[in-house]
Amino acid sequence: MSTTFWVWFGIAIYIAVGLVIAVMARRQLGAGVSEFFLANRRVGGFVSAGTYGATTYSAFMMVGLAGLTYLSGVGALGFELTYLCGMFMMVFFLPRYWLVGRKYGYVSPTELLSDRYQSKWVGATAAILALVFLVPYSAVQLMGVGYLMNGISQGAIPVVAGIIIAVFCAIAWSNIAGMRSVAWTDTFQALIMIVTSAAVLGVVVAALGGFGSFFSKLESAASGLLTVPTAKGAFKLNMFIGMSLPWLFFLISNPQVSQRLFIPKSVMAMKQMLGGFLVFGFIYTLISVLWGFSATLLVPGLVKPDLATPTLLSLPIIPMGLAIIVMIGITAAAISTIDSILLTLSSVWARDIHKGLINPKVSEARELRVGQWVIPIMAIIAFVFAWWAAGKTGLAFMIAPLSSAASAGLLMAVPTIFGAFFWKRATAPGAIVSCIVGAIVVLLFQVTGWKPLGWWPGTWGFIVCVILFIGVSLATKPPREKAEEFIGYLKEKLAEGKFI
Amino acid sequence: MSKTGWAWLWFGFLLALDIAIPWFVLTHVEKMSGAFLFWTVWVAVAIISAFVIFLRWKEARQ
Repeated sequence: MSTTFWVWFGIAIYIAVGLVIAVMARRQLGAGVSEFFLANRRVGGFVSAGTYGATTYSAFMMVGLAGLTYLSGVGALGFELTYLCGMFMMVFFLPRYWLVGRKYGYVSPTELLSDRYQSKWVGATAAILALVFLVPYSAVQLMGVGYLMNGISQGAIPVVAGIIIAVFCAIAWSNIAGMRSVAWTDTFQALIMIVTSAAVLGVVVAALGGFGSFFSKLESAASGLLTVPTAKGAFKLNMFIGMSLPWLFFLISNPQVSQRLFIPKSVMAMKQMLGGFLVFGFIYTLISVLWGFSATLLVPGLVKPDLATPTLLSLPIIPMGLAIIVMIGITAAAISTIDSILLTLSSVWARDIHKGLINPKVSEARELRVGQWVIPIMAIIAFVFAWWAAGKTGLAFMIAPLSSAASAGLLMAVPTIFGAFFWKRATAPGAIVSCIVGAIVVLLFQVTGWKPLGWWPGTWGFIVCVILFIGVSLATKPPREKAEEFIGYLKEKLAEGKFI
Repeated sequence: MSKTGWAWLWFGFLLALDIAIPWFVLTHVEKMSGAFLFWTVWVAVAIISAFVIFLRWKEARQ
């Protein structure tokens, strides 16, 4: 039987198992918004870690990061590990989000901002940022799946077919039981991701003569890729900071991951979530980068670096069965990210836009229905974007830079989030002005391709955003009573739980 | 300085190393024992630091 048949067969098995898990999760689904979007804040440590890992790590890793390593060398490792180092900030933010989520019943991270700043416009502004900038981020996941299926089937499966499959699964798994089905399928997918990627890397490294031989071949054949900047000038400091800055604050700027800080059922579950994720992230990052390096040795000279993974998987040294399993692992990584984004965007729309601005007296049942309608609509928008971007070439349309560019827009909410937890003087006008103007700067620079002094759009946007946030906050009146109550509550509870 | 302050300071120090070592110290070391090894060890230190802090957390009354 042909490779194409086995690719379709593997996909069918994967979808069937995912659907069974999602339907099982539905049996435990209760009523209400908090139940649908947060699994009633009763998720155990293992599943919390699984859904956090699978949501964070996507097709970006084994396709985009591998492609970036292939093109730009060791700087790609530094870029991704800077994100993981940024996870150190979880020791500050995880307990804070978790405590106030339980105290005030927040469903979305943007609702937290509305309440803390006593302005529905703050939450709505952050919600619009998320709705705008998460579209390209979702689209790159779809592109990853499309490239992969196309590459492994040696062109028999069109890119758009892979994109449609990913869209279908993401809509189904986020709609069947909300956070519960997403978290369960995410955990299943996280296991597939780590096991399959480790297995295929092992096969490739063995084919290259083991790690010692692999490293010495890299040092001789690709030595220009082992420093920053590389011999060809990639990963100069401005590029590194431009890409890494949005990644550093990913844990709070991306609502699909910060929403997960509400879901652990206990402090023990929080600890397991954080510890499990850090170990998972460390291993998965090293695997992805080494995979990219192995592509530089085995399939040099590709015009489109994002095709490094599909090309490598189609080599004869990789058994076809393993290549298909890895393809499913990467597809799982992409879909587990998209369904989480869709679920978060639906909660953000329902809570911060529909209930916050359009119809404040909406019933909980109606709010939930509105959220569920947003899921397919956002999926279709991401699909159209992915279809368009998949036909483009150049660094700006590679998966890794496109992902980083999306996070650059979300970065503009970071000063507002810091202010909510750490600065009583922070105000709603400061938050709104800094988010809007910062996002306009980022969009303007990204669309025009303008990089003053060589620095990237996210860097300039962030500088403007921080200055405006501080300046406008100092010139306007803060919600003093709420700030005292919110930060005072946290101070008391943080001391009680030995948090810092 | 409070424990929170020290933790922020430590995090800032790690970020300073993230730039200083690969771009100013290891820029001519074209080996796996250069920037590759540095970033691997560096992030392991960051992860261990996080473990040291969060393993002390205990259940708070709701």
